Amino acid sequence: MSDSDDLKQNEGATKTITRRNFILGVIAGGAVVSAASYRFLAPSRRQLSGAGERLITLYINGKPRRVDVMKQETLAWTLRYKLGLTGTKLGCDRAECGSCTVLIDDVPYYSCSVLTHTVRNRQVTTIEGLAAADGKLHPVQQAVVDEQGFQCAFCMTGFIMSAVGFLKTNPNPTRAEMAQGVSGNLCRCQDYSKILDSLMRAAEYTRRA
Amino acid sequence: MAGVELTKESLKPIPFGTGYKLIGHDFSTNDLVAKATGASKYAEDFRAEGMLFCRLVLSPMPHARVKRINAEKALAMPGVRGILTPDEVPGHANYVNDNGTMIKADRFSELALADEPMYQGEPILAVAAVDELTCAEAIEAIEIEMEPLPFNTDPLDSLRPGSANAREEGNVWVPNPPPSRESQLAVLKWTDEEFAAEKEGKLPMGHAPEEWSYGDLDAGFKNAALVLDETFSTEDVSHQCLEPRTTMAFWQNGKLYLYTGTQSTMQTVPAIARWMHMPEENVVFISEYTGGGFGSKITGALTLVIPALLSKKLNAPVMMRISREEEHFIGRARPGIRARTKVGFAKDGRITALDMFLVSDAGSYGSNGDGAACAQITSLLYQPAAMRWRNVTVATNTLPRSAQSAPGGMQAIAIIEPVLSKAARKLGVDQVALRRVNSPEGKAEYGPPGPGGKRSYVTSCYLKQALDAGAKQFNWNARVARSKQSGTKVRGVGVALSCYHGGTSGFDGLIVITPQGRVKIYTGIGNLGTEAFVDVHRATAEILNVPWDTIDLVWGDTSKNLPYSCHSGGSQTIHAMTRAGHAVGLECAQRLKEVAAKSLGGEPADYEVANLRVSRKGGGAGMSFAEASKAAIKLGGIYDGHDVNPAVNKYTKHSVAAHAGEGLVASATDNYPHDGDSFSFLACFAEVETDVETGKYHITDYLGYADVGTVIHPAALGGQVLGRSVLGMAHAIGQKWVIDPQYGVTVAQRFYTNKPPSILDVPVDMKWNALNIPDPETPVGARGCGEPPVGGGCAAITNALADALGDNIFQRVPVNADTILTSYEAGRPMQNPFLAHI
Amino acid sequence: MAVIRDVMPAFDLLQPASAADAQKLLETYRENAWVMAGGMDSFDWLKDRIKKPQVLVDLSGVDELKGIRTTADGVEIGSMTTLTDIAKDATIRKNYGLLAEAVEHVASPQIRNQGTLGGNVSQDARCWYYRGGWPCYRAGGNECFADTPVGRNREHAIFGANRCVAVNPSDSAPALIALDAKFVIQTSKGEQVVDAEDYFLGPEVDITRLNILRPGDLLTAIRIPSTWSGAKFYFEKVRDRNVWDFPLMNVAAAMKFSGGNIDEIRIAVNAVAPRPMRLTAVESAVRGKPADAATGEMAGKLAVQGAIPLQFNAYKIPLMRNLVKRAIGGVQETTWTS
Repeated sequence: MSDSDDLKQNEGATKTITRRNFILGVIAGGAVVSAASYRFLAPSRRQLSGAGERLITLYINGKPRRVDVMKQETLAWTLRYKLGLTGTKLGCDRAECGSCTVLIDDVPYYSCSVLTHTVRNRQVTTIEGLAAADGKLHPVQQAVVDEQGFQCAFCMTGFIMSAVGFLKTNPNPTRAEMAQGVSGNLCRCQDYSKILDSLMRAAEYTRRA
Repeated sequence: MAGVELTKESLKPIPFGTGYKLIGHDFSTNDLVAKATGASKYAEDFRAEGMLFCRLVLSPMPHARVKRINAEKALAMPGVRGILTPDEVPGHANYVNDNGTMIKADRFSELALADEPMYQGEPILAVAAVDELTCAEAIEAIEIEMEPLPFNTDPLDSLRPGSANAREEGNVWVPNPPPSRESQLAVLKWTDEEFAAEKEGKLPMGHAPEEWSYGDLDAGFKNAALVLDETFSTEDVSHQCLEPRTTMAFWQNGKLYLYTGTQSTMQTVPAIARWMHMPEENVVFISEYTGGGFGSKITGALTLVIPALLSKKLNAPVMMRISREEEHFIGRARPGIRARTKVGFAKDGRITALDMFLVSDAGSYGSNGDGAACAQITSLLYQPAAMRWRNVTVATNTLPRSAQSAPGGMQAIAIIEPVLSKAARKLGVDQVALRRVNSPEGKAEYGPPGPGGKRSYVTSCYLKQALDAGAKQFNWNARVARSKQSGTKVRGVGVALSCYHGGTSGFDGLIVITPQGRVKIYTGIGNLGTEAFVDVHRATAEILNVPWDTIDLVWGDTSKNLPYSCHSGGSQTIHAMTRAGHAVGLECAQRLKEVAAKSLGGEPADYEVANLRVSRKGGGAGMSFAEASKAAIKLGGIYDGHDVNPAVNKYTKHSVAAHAGEGLVASATDNYPHDGDSFSFLACFAEVETDVETGKYHITDYLGYADVGTVIHPAALGGQVLGRSVLGMAHAIGQKWVIDPQYGVTVAQRFYTNKPPSILDVPVDMKWNALNIPDPETPVGARGCGEPPVGGGCAAITNALADALGDNIFQRVPVNADTILTSYEAGRPMQNPFLAHI
Repeated sequence: MAVIRDVMPAFDLLQPASAADAQKLLETYRENAWVMAGGMDSFDWLKDRIKKPQVLVDLSGVDELKGIRTTADGVEIGSMTTLTDIAKDATIRKNYGLLAEAVEHVASPQIRNQGTLGGNVSQDARCWYYRGGWPCYRAGGNECFADTPVGRNREHAIFGANRCVAVNPSDSAPALIALDAKFVIQTSKGEQVVDAEDYFLGPEVDITRLNILRPGDLLTAIRIPSTWSGAKFYFEKVRDRNVWDFPLMNVAAAMKFSGGNIDEIRIAVNAVAPRPMRLTAVESAVRGKPADAATGEMAGKLAVQGAIPLQFNAYKIPLMRNLVKRAIGGVQETTWTS
């Protein structure tokens, strides 16, 4: 790979900053660091444009969907930009916020970190697939509405999917267990208390349903 | 004390909603089902025919000049549609504010793209292409030559002799003489002698450009039983809204359509017009849902301008998706403050004198008011008999700061509360008692005397009652009496006072009663998520005496012609917009009565409004809202919006005119008086359990007890009290920046490195409560609660930690395992309080 | 050349269905291939556009690499077994609870649902300079940016630094070392089985990788012998946040007793050095001694001998001392109930 070419170029540049310069720099305070020192931020150069899409069948919310998918495409991207299922949110795209959580064969996954091509034969459930055809809300959704759970709600659909998945494995959780169950979801409004109120009600509704 | 007479009995919270049908009762807000089903559309969820994607190039350097951009190869790549460079963005513009005053362009404010980036991560170039992959490959084909310039990322270092300045013009913001509210940059360096205090772990105190004082400081210290001189630093903390500030833009028939998340629908329009140098009437702004703001999405921003300009240039819709890393850089942050406070205490803990010295970090663009607010909140919340404030606001090559929930107030409380805790221990006074004796009450005064020699004061304050009720609910005395250590675990309890501004006034309301008999309420408040934009209209519905389900709330799209509303920020909404909602409710009822009188005879005063009808008092003739609406259209003029209430704002007038003839159109402005400034207050309580062998601690319990006036929507208020408390806790338990000062570069732009709290980092069962005592100075008695809990959320934790571990563990937040482990063994704070961003 | 992040580069996706096929692909493409298990580490490198492999070999379709099998001498865990499946497995919980506990402390539920044991032990360093694309030693350069007078190194090494001061961030690795696990690797020359501790590499051997896998190699399974089945285990992880975060430090120990004294012991810590550290000196010193506070105290002090702190990580010395102390001497439990 041409990675190594870049590194060679960088070598010459970065050698100019020795430990001694570091220390001098600190003492002088905010000395100008040479432009070359920032070249390290340059990425490797290999281009591989025009990687083609392939038409595949996905099973989303119980229905087969034919869709053109790039090799490197994530499930979140396919859902949002190819299938119009924008209820799945991208909060970080790095598996550390949970807004993109969907169920794959009933198990919660970060869809930002799943390649679409790896779920070809699996059942994917998104927030759009929870309510009944007649619009009747899923018990977890109904509980959230009844408890006025969440604030800005950008995290909400991910939390709901996590809770739905978790309740399949533990239908009668304590509040602490529920917190553990949805701990892979971040709420920046920090409405964790009200979220847990609504999800405990969700557990109750789910058991009754 | 004005307003409600307080007896022992009144300590019991009034059951929320007493005397009201809607106010104080829980309900599900109008936007909730859409949110829970994924139907709600945030900016990135919109699509437009032929939509291009746009990605940014950010400056890799903290301060540099862009010398040359060569995009030839990129522009030749298939799928690349165009680029936007710094020379294509509009410059700073003068503008005329609502009062007709010309505001001169601020040459220090940021532009959409920078040719001299002032911080690492500042956008310098944008590329549009058919998809993001093409954008990325094009960007990697662009050559940018940059000349590095001197930089400084550390405010204290910037004051050292011989250190680099963040900007060519200087390193410190100096306010112009009044009445100007602008500041200028100047060079300020302290001497080595002034820096000597640093060696003793004390904040050096050289010249400070900003200062005020009141009372006899010297006498206060002389008469004090205890004088403490403490140094404490707070951390820069990014807003990190979960929805990145993605924006989609397109142009149609000369109008700009912009989709993004915002805290204000209406007030963003003039801001965009200003950034874009275009007339306001050509801006259509759509923002139905917003994934968090916390002060960082108040109005316009460069993220709106870039796609707008690119869309115009390329004649196609442009979606600029902002990544989490980009959000870290351009998403704003709360400034960290390094503080030194000398506080004198009487034997009972009463503060006799308070001398506060602050070094505030303004980041790379413009000054900020956090240092000033820090002093204001200190003087209000702790009522020192004498106080002096000195402040240096330093420019650094770090990302621009903006208001973040309780700007300045959060830092004030984080800085002062540990001093109070230490004093209580030294004086042998109970922590709650010490806070009670210092707590404001009634029309408490704050800040320095104004030009007329009088000090400002608040509308009302019942914080002592909240403190007492909270201490009772939290079982404070029992918790204090319990043993502290068992095994390797040590627990501690903490109490903190907290407050912030709780409302503004002077906004408008707009109602259309349709010929179908529906009550359409229009609002220009941003849907930030706090639900205040819905909740305030419970007051309107209450006055109109209509069931909630007959209300259609219209929000989030300026093409729907909305009234002039406050932005959902600064905790002002509940106060400001229940006032406007109250005013327009009364106006609407009056117009209904007039329509009825004109149609059915008699005087308007003979009629009353109830159950979607306007009818003669005591029975008799009446008409339904639907009939009244049709009658209003027939009457025209003021009744159907062909004439407009002259008191309302120009934007409201414009919107009323647009609704003319749609039904009974009522608009009104809030010109209710209020004697004093609105502030909300809380008493916050926490318990922590620390493992002294690992330095790990866990918050086991938390209670926020609020004095926020009338409770409008209990569930939403609870969410605010605890949500904002946790935002404060985040400052105590770990949220931070990490910058390598050698390169002036951030190394912690990911959540796993800058550490916003997870659900397992806070107590599993937190509690809140509210006094529910109406504010006597506002019609519904309600004040806001977005900012007030933040400082208390932070300080209750640090106070509990100090209770557990002693006063010699930390001089800065956040406090983590590393802080505790090293300092607990050494018996003194081992982390340099001035060293930021580690 | 300007920089952009958060767009996955294009690559060719290869999805083998058998371990043999996977290994062959890796051998064919060698340096040009990126092998992906759960992907939790890979996606960062790819989305940062720092790594742009020609082909990505996705192992998620290789069923034979998944699952937990009881063998004549313990259990064999396929390298593609998810952390959730390991944490839930009855045999692992009953006999090798140390591993169950370790994997339960990894990241978040969703990451454990997707992340695999093979991936967790093979993940790369999390030094923020290295992950940020700086041309440091580990990235093939000739400089360390973390070990400078102002470098941000709160989470870096106190042992084993050699030009690079990054640490191994795995939670499962020390548990597997304590359990004396064997790592099974398919190479072009056939199967290779190594002791857990020998799977990991320090910078003195190769500064650019944390484990012995070379291009073309495939980690297929991890075998845990029954030797330590049902022993007394101790695992503790200290991290800033209780979800997502990598360890500031973790410790894993397995002990067997004879006549009230420690008869056999294996103990390892991670996030203190470029490779998980087995503490053999501690093991020798505590053998034959009671697992009490005094022994723990002695073990803790011994463990940190020779530690060299950097500017911001001196806390790791008391932390390591205390974690080792607790692993051996136990934790003084609290008496309060609330």
